[in-house]
Amino acid sequence: MENQMKRGLLDVCVLAAIKSEDSYGYQIVKDLSPYVEISESTLYPILRRLENGLMLTVRTAEHNGRLRKYYHITEAGLERLKTFSEEWKELMTIYEFVTREEKND
Amino acid sequence: MTKAEFIESLIGSLNGLSEDDIKKSKDYYEEMIDDRMEDGIPEEEAVSGLGTVDEIKDQILEEVPITKIVKERMKPKRALRAWEIVLLIIGAPLWIPITAALIVVALVLYLCFWIIILALYLCDFAVFIWGFGVIIGAFVQQYGFNAGLFMAGCGVASIGIAILLFFGFTKVAQGMIFLSKKMGLGIKRMFVGGKKE
Repeated sequence: MENQMKRGLLDVCVLAAIKSEDSYGYQIVKDLSPYVEISESTLYPILRRLENGLMLTVRTAEHNGRLRKYYHITEAGLERLKTFSEEWKELMTIYEFVTREEKND
Repeated sequence: MTKAEFIESLIGSLNGLSEDDIKKSKDYYEEMIDDRMEDGIPEEEAVSGLGTVDEIKDQILEEVPITKIVKERMKPKRALRAWEIVLLIIGAPLWIPITAALIVVALVLYLCFWIIILALYLCDFAVFIWGFGVIIGAFVQQYGFNAGLFMAGCGVASIGIAILLFFGFTKVAQGMIFLSKKMGLGIKRMFVGGKKE
């Protein structure tokens, strides 16, 4: 897959992982890894990028005597997910058209 | 490598970034290692599974703008001494123009980069339009059928070449963008990491 596309997709995946409830780094990686290739080190720049883009906010909470960062999706993040699913609906229609052509060959 | 060794090595390799950036990276990787260990992964494995410090450094650098890195590097680490300030003021007629020139050179190089790509596509477009021109010319010229056929052939060939060149130039442009990104990362690497001050 093209790098730029993969980057955009990973952003959306991370937002989706924190959509229903706040989550932390390790959990996000565990939740996403069955669907997409992601590691702790690839997640870090994505989280920073999303934080800078105001798509998520970070809060620190105590866990087992140490600090852990929890990520919370913002309105802008939810908006991004909405645009993504709308765009992909269009793409899926195109995909169906393209693969149908292939079957007829 | 133990967690402590890894974190120390990571902090060293990020030397040159802002303190805030370094602290955020340190906190994040500490949390990751702790979470992995809590999940039952032994310390060594929890650390090695994150990848090498160099890989992590490159990934972090990709997201930090080059201007921020340079600014951080230029910021004096301690208060300037009186004689340093005097030297700076006396030297101003020298270092201000040189710095300004360097900034302009960097800007011009950046502009050149996009102008080259633009020029490639403009050339291609010109060949494309020329092809159509020659085909139209084939119908209005007054040298007979053979000349007309020849011109039309040339026109179609130019259009064909233009279409092929378009794909070629797109590859060239992609390659150039890829190289410029690598160069950007290379420049960032020069500023970040290395010896501790």
